[in-house]
Amino acid sequence: MQCEEVREQFADYVIARVEAPAPLEIVEHLSSCAACRAELDELKSLWMQLENAPATEPTAELQARFDVMLAAYEEGLRRPVHNWRRPVLEFAAAAALLVIGIGVGYRMHTPPARNPELAELQSELHQTRQMVALSLMQEQSATDRLKGVGWSYRLQEPGADVLQALLDTLMHDSNVNVRLATVDALRQFGNQPVVRRGIVDAMTRQEAPMVQIALIDLAVDLKEKESVGSLQQLTQDHNIDPAVRDRAEKGLEQLR
Amino acid sequence: MHETDENLMLAVRNGEVGKLAFLFDRHHRLLFDFFAKLTGSRAAAEDLVQDVFFRILKYRGTFRDESRFKAWMFHIARNARIDYYRKHHTGTLPAEDRDTEPQSRFGMPGDDLEQEQQVFLLECALLKLAPEKREVLILSRYQDMKYEQIAEMLGCEVSTIKVRVFRAIKELRDIFFKLSNEKPPCNVKKSVNSLRIM
Ligand SMILES: [Zn+2]
Repeated sequence: MQCEEVREQFADYVIARVEAPAPLEIVEHLSSCAACRAELDELKSLWMQLENAPATEPTAELQARFDVMLAAYEEGLRRPVHNWRRPVLEFAAAAALLVIGIGVGYRMHTPPARNPELAELQSELHQTRQMVALSLMQEQSATDRLKGVGWSYRLQEPGADVLQALLDTLMHDSNVNVRLATVDALRQFGNQPVVRRGIVDAMTRQEAPMVQIALIDLAVDLKEKESVGSLQQLTQDHNIDPAVRDRAEKGLEQLR
Repeated sequence: MHETDENLMLAVRNGEVGKLAFLFDRHHRLLFDFFAKLTGSRAAAEDLVQDVFFRILKYRGTFRDESRFKAWMFHIARNARIDYYRKHHTGTLPAEDRDTEPQSRFGMPGDDLEQEQQVFLLECALLKLAPEKREVLILSRYQDMKYEQIAEMLGCEVSTIKVRVFRAIKELRDIFFKLSNEKPPCNVKKSVNSLRIM
């Protein structure tokens, strides 16, 4: 047997979990070939060393982050649907979650504002809320999607992906109540150009009169001049609900 | 009372999401070690563990009655890892995120310096392997997974996994010996900073 052939068989003796006796041919080759013996020993010993490499331990922060995330997620699922219009007691909830996080692995030596660990935890909490909002907005049930929209009230500065998810929900959600809640939720981010554009775009594309009226109200409240074109289009469309046409006309007057 | 992982996960799936805390308690160290060895970064490993448990919540509905928890979790872990590298564009971690220097292991009283050096070299060598090879080695060697489970997770034959593991160990050996013969041999700080993760 050639060295090459022999070495191809090594896999079974190096990485096998159970020790199998080597075939006679291989045993014979090994007894006469020092190079192959060395090769096998090397591989075996490296394989053993791999197992001896010590495990890396996480810091206590990992547990704290997980606790914050789980608490936020549970709360998101528990939150009753009828609350979505009312931004809840933001501070109390945030404080409660922070305490959970701090209790696990944090000791405060410095005042909160200057404590970098606390600042980090706050940012973690913010990210967790974004994740919860985003993931709930993709849920199957309209109830969960409503909760997701409701979660956006907890984000002072939502990321671009949250805003996009809200706008997508506004455009494409099959449930009128979810779309209506989204119009309400978008109001708080009315200073963002992408949101203002989204509102104007959605106005003429919505089919539910209730949602259209809510969008017109919002555009007028935000004094969005860019909506004039869409409003004019609505006043001239004879296929839409008369109430929507009326509201669009009134809106045009208010914006002038 | 000892609930199996599978029963706990079924409870999570059916709405008792708080039970995820038990699963986290059982598995987060293992997962952290897996990611730490895979990425060479503690910070990245912590982010990834957090991401995996978030995904477990998010996709809890996809856990089936007959699923095995650990295999399912590592399947999610794998996707999280792939997304993580995709997000970091080149697949190379930013320099400040690389913190593989195993500080906790150095300077420990009673520790054998030569042994530490060996371990460190091995970790250097591991990080120089291609990610798929590193992954399969870490899974089979450190995580005590059966080849059948790894095959199931990666969606290929058991024989394929064995061939891959063996190739990976041979390549690791070559890198390891090359590093051992470098002069000076794998200076801790320098080598960590010059390591390319992928
Ligand atoms: Zn030979």
